[in-house]
Amino acid sequence: MLAGVLLLIFLPPLVAKDLCKDSQDGFKVRLSIKTALGDDAYEWNESEMFLFRSTLAYAMRKQTKQDTYNITNILVCNDTQRVSFVFVVTSPGDPDQLIPKEQIEEAVRQNKHRINNAFLLSDMTLEFVGIPPTLAAPIIYDTEPWLIVFGVVIGAVAVGIVALLMSTVSKKRRAKEKAAGLSEEDEGIVKENGTALSGLGGKEGVYNQTFSNDNRFTEL
Amino acid sequence: MSKEARPSWDSPMQFVLACVSYAVGLGNVWRFPYLCQMHGGGGFLIPYLLMLILEGIPLFCMELAIGQKMRLGSIGAWTAISPYLGGLGIASVVTSMYLCLYYNVINAWSFWYLFHSFQSVLPWAECPVNANRTGYLEECEVASPTQYFFYRETLNISSSIDENGGLHMGQALCLLLAWIIVYLFIVRGVKSTGVVVYFTATFPYVVLIIYLIRGVTLHGAWNGVKYMFTPKLEQLANPQTWINAATQIFFSLGLGFGSLIAFSSYNHHNNDFEKQAVIISLINSGTSVFASIVTFSIYGFKATFNYESCLERMRLLCLNAFDLSEESISAGNVTEWIHYLNITHPESFAAIASKIEHCSLEAELDTAVEGTGLAFIVYSEAIKNMPLSQLWSVLYFIMLLLLGMGSMLGNVTAIITPLADIKLLSRSLSSESINGLVCLLCLLLGFGFTSRSGNYWFTIFNEYAATLSLLFIVFLEVISVCYVYGLRRFERDIEDMLGHRPNWYWKVMWAVVSPLLLFSLFIFYIINYIQGGTPTYQAWDKDLGRSVVKEYPVYGQVFIALLLLSALSCVPLAALHAVCRRKQRGTAIREHRKKNSD
Repeated sequence: MLAGVLLLIFLPPLVAKDLCKDSQDGFKVRLSIKTALGDDAYEWNESEMFLFRSTLAYAMRKQTKQDTYNITNILVCNDTQRVSFVFVVTSPGDPDQLIPKEQIEEAVRQNKHRINNAFLLSDMTLEFVGIPPTLAAPIIYDTEPWLIVFGVVIGAVAVGIVALLMSTVSKKRRAKEKAAGLSEEDEGIVKENGTALSGLGGKEGVYNQTFSNDNRFTEL
Repeated sequence: MSKEARPSWDSPMQFVLACVSYAVGLGNVWRFPYLCQMHGGGGFLIPYLLMLILEGIPLFCMELAIGQKMRLGSIGAWTAISPYLGGLGIASVVTSMYLCLYYNVINAWSFWYLFHSFQSVLPWAECPVNANRTGYLEECEVASPTQYFFYRETLNISSSIDENGGLHMGQALCLLLAWIIVYLFIVRGVKSTGVVVYFTATFPYVVLIIYLIRGVTLHGAWNGVKYMFTPKLEQLANPQTWINAATQIFFSLGLGFGSLIAFSSYNHHNNDFEKQAVIISLINSGTSVFASIVTFSIYGFKATFNYESCLERMRLLCLNAFDLSEESISAGNVTEWIHYLNITHPESFAAIASKIEHCSLEAELDTAVEGTGLAFIVYSEAIKNMPLSQLWSVLYFIMLLLLGMGSMLGNVTAIITPLADIKLLSRSLSSESINGLVCLLCLLLGFGFTSRSGNYWFTIFNEYAATLSLLFIVFLEVISVCYVYGLRRFERDIEDMLGHRPNWYWKVMWAVVSPLLLFSLFIFYIINYIQGGTPTYQAWDKDLGRSVVKEYPVYGQVFIALLLLSALSCVPLAALHAVCRRKQRGTAIREHRKKNSD
């Protein structure tokens, strides 16, 4: 009788260990606490494992929308120094039946963020081998930021060019008005001398050597 | 008499700054550090400085003297030296035109990167995720995020020069902006350029100093600087070292494009160009050395970062495969642990053996890169790992822009100065319109470089448009000045301008040493071309995530030949034209005389 009672007491954990070790529906988990937290790293002990099992139970509850999942449904084995282990999830209705891999993957995927935060870890440091992390969605902008900066710069440059060109045009106009004012006086002089001066290149005329200043010393 | 006196610089300082801004360009940042690394670190400075003295300073001074004496752009100046040599000026203008076309594309890329730095996460820091968010895009996984950003998002490069695609609109917009800014800088000719160079010549140094301080305080920077400066003097026995030193000095100073002649043509007659030539050349070389210290500290940081990441990956691999506790392996004893595990657990080790990498700091430092790969891939990779990376990215690309824009000023001035000297053009169009038309033409032709295969055409221009032709042009320049124009006449002109004759150093260099050096470089280049067989290029393979070597198709090789010939043939063609014109005039005068005597 005693043997039967003993068997009854020790059988479930033994069976549980077999369920965990031999199963195909288990996932290996790896935590890199020292890498993530450095000096603030906490010790991995039974309480932390308790937290892990409860977060997984929470994830299963959320995913299946059944409040029946409990910590006893999460079985853990192959604990190593690395802080890595294998876990399986048993069905709340039947402790010998395991929840299939795909369902556990869904549950973990949807709640990875909460699981990470419970342990102060990230997708890199809390790995579920076989469940790749869902990467952050790319940010979609209404207008790309580079176009905004481009618009500002090209606007400023365009303003600069227009300002420069306007100042050149107004300078030329002023110079033309001045020249027009002067040339009205010149026009009369040229008209008087008809062909001679107008045939030459500029208004300055040609230096005539005959009337050079060579005899300035012979004034006496 | 001309309508208005020739415009001039407001002060000699503007001229010096313009030359510095022109000479100090992207080559100082991305070519010199590479050469230093390839040819023995600190030891490379010996051939470099020697070539500066033998070839750089004399040729620089000679071009400044010609421009200042003739007070005309390159076409007018060479026609004045000898009527048969106008073609030399035309060749310079043609080469400058080619340079303008492709050089501004680099500025367009700098703008693209600059504008993309204004984001919370730099776009080249991480790979974009794929459609169902389970991983990264494949091309980015095989290559690296920085390479992906450059080849795919910036260039959208095709897999070979044969595959054309549409224009990349972002690139086209950035090129438009680059040309508008160039126009803004040169619209009033030397008056507007003179103001701009105060900024483009000095601000890059401010950024370089900031980067120097940031660079040497980075973790691992010292590895890079030490690696660079440890001289490997055995490299001096390699002739390639001396050839590369000579070509680097030559191209870095920007000789032969006509820009220096154009700049100095706006000088006062008595400007002391001799002293300025020495100062500018020394500043240019000094900047190269300074920039390579910065580059190597960044290299050292990047190499150390990659090395430590490699060690970390190996550590994790061992920890995960053997389920050891995290504290057992540290970054320092990873290699010993790998050996130990290999011996003690050979079967399990064999399972991960394919993923084991050999981490070596030396190998990381040895990956020497030059050119656009250095500026846009390696540097941006280093920047993304710095704290406050957006700030450093903005500063860095502003510096690249200023260096590039400063050089563009000289390049465009080399084209517009001879054009403004042509009486026909300057009478019918204002100088602003001529400048605008030149910029517009270069912009429209430059759009070809923004197509999907544009980068391959860019490489053709970069390697062939302004290399051999320049050597030929400058060689002819120095021969013409010394032997056609006459060294004595040149000496007298210099005495007229400066008040003293050039001393024996200048005369020996101009008459003997520089022509010999240039001739041997020219021969070496030709031998290299012939021995190299079919010219090849690096094509980006998006499945492999790296560049592969491909041969140029026939039309590509024909294009290269056309590029070279179009510049080189200007000289004989123009000389022939001048000979014909002389003959025509000679016959016309004889006929006129015959008629009169009858």
